[in-house]
Amino acid sequence: MPAIVEITEELIRSYINRAVGDVFKTMLGREPSAVRHGSSPNDPALPTIEAHRPQVVGTVGFVGEINGLIYLHLDLAFARICTCHMLGMTDAELDEAGDDVINDAIGELTNMTVGIFKNGLCDVGLPCKLTIPSIVRGSNFVIEPISAATRHIYYFQCENHRVVADILMQRDE
Amino acid sequence: MRYKVLTVDDSKTVRIIVKKAFKPYDVEIIEAANGVEGLAVAAKESPDLILLDVTMPVMDGVEMLTKLKADPALKGMPVMMLTAEGGRDNVLKIAKIGVRDYLVKPFKEEVLIEKCGRIIDLKPITEGPAKSKSIFDPADVLVLEDKPAIVQQISEGLKHTPWKVRGVASQGEALDVCTRTPPDVILVSLSLPEETAFSFFRILRTNVKTKYTPVFALVVKTETQQQQQAQAMGFSAIITKPIDTADLESKIAKAMNLDTSQRYYTFENDCLVMRLPENCSAPVLAEAAHYLKGKLTEAVDAGQNKVVIDIHHLRNLHMGVIKLLFQAMQTCRELALQFALVGNAQIISECKGFEDTRGWTFYETLEDAKANLGKSAAAPQLATAGV
Repeated sequence: MPAIVEITEELIRSYINRAVGDVFKTMLGREPSAVRHGSSPNDPALPTIEAHRPQVVGTVGFVGEINGLIYLHLDLAFARICTCHMLGMTDAELDEAGDDVINDAIGELTNMTVGIFKNGLCDVGLPCKLTIPSIVRGSNFVIEPISAATRHIYYFQCENHRVVADILMQRDE
Repeated sequence: MRYKVLTVDDSKTVRIIVKKAFKPYDVEIIEAANGVEGLAVAAKESPDLILLDVTMPVMDGVEMLTKLKADPALKGMPVMMLTAEGGRDNVLKIAKIGVRDYLVKPFKEEVLIEKCGRIIDLKPITEGPAKSKSIFDPADVLVLEDKPAIVQQISEGLKHTPWKVRGVASQGEALDVCTRTPPDVILVSLSLPEETAFSFFRILRTNVKTKYTPVFALVVKTETQQQQQAQAMGFSAIITKPIDTADLESKIAKAMNLDTSQRYYTFENDCLVMRLPENCSAPVLAEAAHYLKGKLTEAVDAGQNKVVIDIHHLRNLHMGVIKLLFQAMQTCRELALQFALVGNAQIISECKGFEDTRGWTFYETLEDAKANLGKSAAAPQLATAGV
C-alpha cells in the first residue's frame, strides 16, 4: 500500500483538473480549461454557483478511507449537447427520448469524472469505492454542505459553457 | 456465426455507446442493468463476451464476476471489465477473480472495439445487399517496401487503374496509415530487415480494422523458404520479384473481390459488346469466361438481343481464345442472341488457318458490326460443337 500523502488543495485541484479534462476530451471531444479563482468557500472572491439558469447536476460519492461527494454542474443547454454527442443523437431525437436520457448521460459523465478523481485517492493510499450516480435538476437552488465536510469548488470553461465541480470531502478518522 | 456480447451496466448511456461502437460489426448486443440480470442473461444467452461494470445497484460487478466464475456452466465466458473503478488495488483484486481485459472509463469506442477484437473475431458487416466494387472504383494500395524502385514500379504498373498506391518504408509509418485510413490492399516486402514483414502481418491480423485486409507478400522468386513461411502464416498472395504488374493487378482485383466484368463486357446502346484485350493469358480468359453466361443472360433480361464480340485488339489467336469464342457463340445461340465478330487483319488471317474457324465472318469495325447485326449473314456458323 503506498504511503498516505497529505490531501492538499493542490492535489485535489490537480486530480479534478485531470478528471474533468480526461472525461470531456475522451467522451465529448472537448478540452475544458480550468478557470483560476478562489476555491475555498470562505474565500470572499469566490463567485457563487450560477444556479439561476436550469441546471443538471450529476452527483457521485466515494466511500472508504475517505468519503466525499462531487457535484458536477452543467447548465441544461450544455447537458443536452453532451448527451447528443455521447449517444450520437440529434436534438429532435433527444426531445423524443426525454429527460431520463439526459439524466443518465450526465450521471455517467459524473461517474467517470469522480472515478478518475477517486482512483487518484486510492493510489495514494486512501482506498474508496464509488457510489451510484444521482441527478439534481432545477434552477435557483443552493447546495449546503454539512459543517464537518471540507468543500472545494472548481470552475471550468468548455467552449462557451461553464462546468462546475463542487467537491465535498471528509476524511474517515 | 454471429457473436453475442452482453453489456452489464446500470447506465443506459454506456449500453447505448457499446451498441453504437459495435454497430459496424456482425455482433448481437444483449443488455443487463445489474449483476442479477447479468447472470440470468448470461445463463440464457451464452454470450461470447461479457462487458461488466463494477458499481451497480442490486448486485455489483465484483459479485457477479465471482458468481460467474464459480458456476461451471458460465465460468468459461470471457469477461472484460468496463468501469470507472480503476484504482490499482481494486483492479488487481478484480483481475485475480479472472478477467480477460480491463478498460477504465472514460473510453474511446475504437479502444473498446480493439480490445474486444482481441477476444472475439469481429467481422465488419455491410448494410443491405452489397453492391460489388468494380475495377473503376477507387481503392487504396499500401506498399511497405524500403526500396523506392519497387514502389515506383508498382505505381507505374497500376497507374492506369483508379487505385492510389502509397509507399512507406517502415513498419511504424505503415501502422500509422492503417490506423488512420485502413487501405484496401497491403503489399509487404519480405526482404525488410528483422522479419518486419511477419511481425507487421501479425499486428495487422490482431487489429479489427485490418483483420480481413488482403496482405500480399513481395518476395524474390528464388526465396522459396520465405514464400513458404508467408503462405503458412496466411498471406493472401505471393507476388514474386521481378513483379509482373498485370498479374499483380489481377490478384489485387481478385483479393478485393472486384467486379472485373467491365473489362470484357460493356453495354453500348442496344448492344452488348464482349471485348478481349491484346494479351489473352489463361487468367484473362478464365476471368472473361467467368462472367460470360451471366452477362449474356443479363442482356436478354434487359430486352437486348445483339452482341458484338470484339477481338480486334487481340495480338494472336490461340486455342484458349478459340475455345472461349466458341463458348460465347454457343451461348448466344442458346439464348437466341444475334452476334457479330470484329477482328483485325492478322486475326482474320489466322482464323483462316484453322478448320473450325475458317468459316467465321468478321467486321473491321465495331460500328460496321453493330450496323449489320440482325442481317442474316452476320452470325458466323459454328463449324463444330466444340474445338
